[in-house]
Amino acid sequence: MVPMRYLEEMARGLDARAALREASRCLLCLDAPCSKGCPAGTDPGKFIRSLRFLNEEGAAYVIRINNALGALCARLCPTESLCQKGCLRAGLDKPVDIGGIQRYLTDLEAENGWEFLSPGEDTGKKVAIVGSGPAGLEAAAVLRSYGHGVVIYEKEEQAGGVLRYGIPAYRLPEEVLEREIKRILDLGVELRTKAEVGRDVDSDALKKEYDAVLYCIGYTKGKVVEPFKGKENVVSALDLLRKIKKDPASFKAPENVLIVGGGDVAMDVIGSLKRLGSRRLVCVAYEELGEFRASQKEFGDALKEADSIIAGYVPESYDGKETVFRHRFLESRLSIKADLTVLAVGQTYEAEGLPLVFEKGTVKGTFHTSGDPKVFFAGDIAPEKGKLVVHAVKSGKEAAMIIDRRIGGHKNGK
Amino acid sequence: MENRLAIEILGVAFPNPFCLSSSPVSNDYEMCAKAYKAGFGGIVFKTIGPKDYLIDEVSPRFDATSKEGTPFLGFKNMEQIAEHPYEENLDALRRLKKDFPDKVLIASIMGNDDESWAYIARDVEEAGADMVELNFSCPQMTSHAMGSDVGTSPELCRHYCEIVRANTKLPIIAKMTPNLAEMNTVARACLEGGADAISAINTVKSITHVDLDKLVPLPIIDGKSSVSGYSGAAVRPIGLRFVSDLARDERLKGAPIGGIGGIETWRDAAEYILLGASFLQLTTAVMEYGYRVVEDLIDGLNRYMVRHGCEHLEEMVGLANKNVIPAEELNRDYRYLPEIDEEKCLKCLRCVVSCYDGAHQAISYDEKTRKPTIDENKCVGCHLCELVCPAGAIRGGKVVYKAGRKVAKPLL
Ligand SMILES: Cc1cc2nc3c(=O)[nH]c(=O)nc-3n(C[C@H](O)[C@H](O)[C@H](O)COP(=O)(O)OP(=O)(O)OC[C@H]3O[C@@H](n4cnc5c(N)ncnc54)[C@H](O)[C@@H]3O)c2cc1C
Ligand SMILES: Cc1cc2nc3c(=O)[nH]c(=O)nc-3n(C[C@H](O)[C@H](O)[C@H](O)COP(=O)(O)O)c2cc1C
Repeated sequence: MVPMRYLEEMARGLDARAALREASRCLLCLDAPCSKGCPAGTDPGKFIRSLRFLNEEGAAYVIRINNALGALCARLCPTESLCQKGCLRAGLDKPVDIGGIQRYLTDLEAENGWEFLSPGEDTGKKVAIVGSGPAGLEAAAVLRSYGHGVVIYEKEEQAGGVLRYGIPAYRLPEEVLEREIKRILDLGVELRTKAEVGRDVDSDALKKEYDAVLYCIGYTKGKVVEPFKGKENVVSALDLLRKIKKDPASFKAPENVLIVGGGDVAMDVIGSLKRLGSRRLVCVAYEELGEFRASQKEFGDALKEADSIIAGYVPESYDGKETVFRHRFLESRLSIKADLTVLAVGQTYEAEGLPLVFEKGTVKGTFHTSGDPKVFFAGDIAPEKGKLVVHAVKSGKEAAMIIDRRIGGHKNGK
Repeated sequence: MENRLAIEILGVAFPNPFCLSSSPVSNDYEMCAKAYKAGFGGIVFKTIGPKDYLIDEVSPRFDATSKEGTPFLGFKNMEQIAEHPYEENLDALRRLKKDFPDKVLIASIMGNDDESWAYIARDVEEAGADMVELNFSCPQMTSHAMGSDVGTSPELCRHYCEIVRANTKLPIIAKMTPNLAEMNTVARACLEGGADAISAINTVKSITHVDLDKLVPLPIIDGKSSVSGYSGAAVRPIGLRFVSDLARDERLKGAPIGGIGGIETWRDAAEYILLGASFLQLTTAVMEYGYRVVEDLIDGLNRYMVRHGCEHLEEMVGLANKNVIPAEELNRDYRYLPEIDEEKCLKCLRCVVSCYDGAHQAISYDEKTRKPTIDENKCVGCHLCELVCPAGAIRGGKVVYKAGRKVAKPLL
């Protein structure tokens, strides 16, 4: 039995009254700064105003038409550093809970079965998308709205990328993800799973079959660094989270776990293991507290779950059980024994057999175009700044627009 | 703190001016006793009608309007008068007077012919009421010989006042309907007929909402609805206007006025008093928040009086009326230009939006810094910007005299 604490969404959503009250806190700025804070171009100034004037359906439309993954961003965006950062209401008390309102509206959309997205008139063109994370999904939705045929190749059993195999259920319930993916597939997108391009599917063959190929392969491999390389009882955070998400029922949480790293991924490991039954969780990060990369929300939640979070230490040696750390600046050593050591020290790509050239961890090329006129890329692997779901959405949307311009043919796209 | 709120009206001593108005909040002995104990100085008991008049209420019977998360901005009801049997109501009056001899007990009454007005008046006096209030104003009676259909006719009001006058020695209050272009004609007729005081207002005829799927106004009663009375905060400006109109009318000979309509806070109460009310009644605030609202009404008003060195409530009554003048007599020689406090300004630019779309395009802003600036030549000094500013950053600033007009420092 998987504990409900793991499966159930941790944060409670706003109800109709609370959402309206929150919308009423909005100052309705001219030229709303929040609307300039969304990488994906969501316009909170507009959807909050629509809600304020009781046009819930219009408000939900504003979100969805701009972002096919609006219900996910509502939950996963570190809004405090994006839209809400610009909120002028902060000058009076605190920013409007834009994420909360977006979640309310996208939930309402589902509840009412509102359908805002529709495919464009068939252009006869076909695009292959490799990878079904947020970048690939958003690109698929946009390309279908233009009327292009879309086939997604996904190496895993199910679509979603990090959304499916990384982000824990208590932050993103399965049914929400299913809804978002289904809405996109219902536009007429074909999904081929267990189809790894470069292994099961030949990348040259793809190029021949399609008018364009868009690679959105993300960062699927957790980094394993020294002194942990090749040692036992070590796992990357990505592998651990993937294992949990694939089969939480048969996952056995180790008693005592050491987590190395201080970003959102480390926080997700802490939250998952605690909910699944680990007893002692100790997290050691290279960063000093002020430099922690985890979002406020996630760090705050992890503080309640972890038994200790120690900042500013670098791992020096590991013997399969015990890690010795030294402090970055002071004369200080720390040694910790654990049943399992989880490395949340960064992710990287796996692109063997793919026509992509990497440079410093991202694909070489600009505007989502590689040297090859038929090959495009988007998402985490693109060189643009920002490695969040919302950036992947932006990236997927832009790539789709560029591909559309390249292959031409659509009549009713924007 | 000493109590400065005691006031005597028509020989009746009110411990404070706050009364329950006639409605379900004053429905029976227990409710009224609780209200007295909570601090109300007086009670207008739920309107007592003729012995044989059948009250048959609908369900549901209320609706409310709201704005931006504020519930009960206004409140609509479809109730008529007392549901309890006639004798039970008289008995409640008797017990209330006996158990709370120092509080004021007002009986609200409504007849449907000469005979019933007469005997109800006699009976409530006999039961111990200190005053009677004639309900000429309920807008949703099932009989057209009753309620606001009577209250819009000066002749009928005068007539029924005469009948009641002949049957009781108690002071008579006539309760007015606001569903009139002006109230003073009816009020004068009531005084001519023998009434001693006026209370205003009863509820405003309204439709609050329409169910957009069923196409029926709210509340829905078996697929239909009716026009009925609106009360609460939304009607306060209407109540204040009528009270002031009455108080400024010399022909009403200074008859005491009971202020009613949307009173929730001591500030609302103070406004009614300053415009001429010497006692106050409320219902909707009690329905929403309970009898305890009286605590802050009493305490807040008392403190206000202490701050302003006002010893007796009487001194306050009607003080603001000398400053209510006809529009044609207002000083139109100057513009009072608003000023933006930069420290408080949040740069939301709501002022710009409203000035452009609702006023005179006098506020511009810097695209980079978002700082708004008022153009003194274009600004007419309407102060719409001040009203929309969510930060309270806009206030009156300087006075500019219109060309060729009198230059004399105005009172701002
Ligand atoms: C644990 C974790 C938590 C996170 N939490 C948040 C958060 O709260 N908020 C936030 O905004 N961001 C978060 N992020 C970051 C965010 O998830 C990523 O930025 C985003 O998922 C990137 O999207 P993508 O589409 O580029 O790649 P991915 O989501 O990684 O998807 C890539 C997909 O491509 C598939 N694939 C790869 N290679 C092939 C191939 N050769 N053939 C076929 N398919 C292939 C993969 O299986 C995968 O499905 C988190 C990341 C992690 C790891
Ligand atoms: C539910 C309800 C029932 C009422 N019943 C009566 C009544 O029986 N007699 C009467 O004179 N006024 C009645 N009124 C009117 C109130 O006494 C009062 O005049 C009006 O509601 C305005 O005051 P408020 O805004 O404080 O509620 C009723 C009002 C409400 C809301």
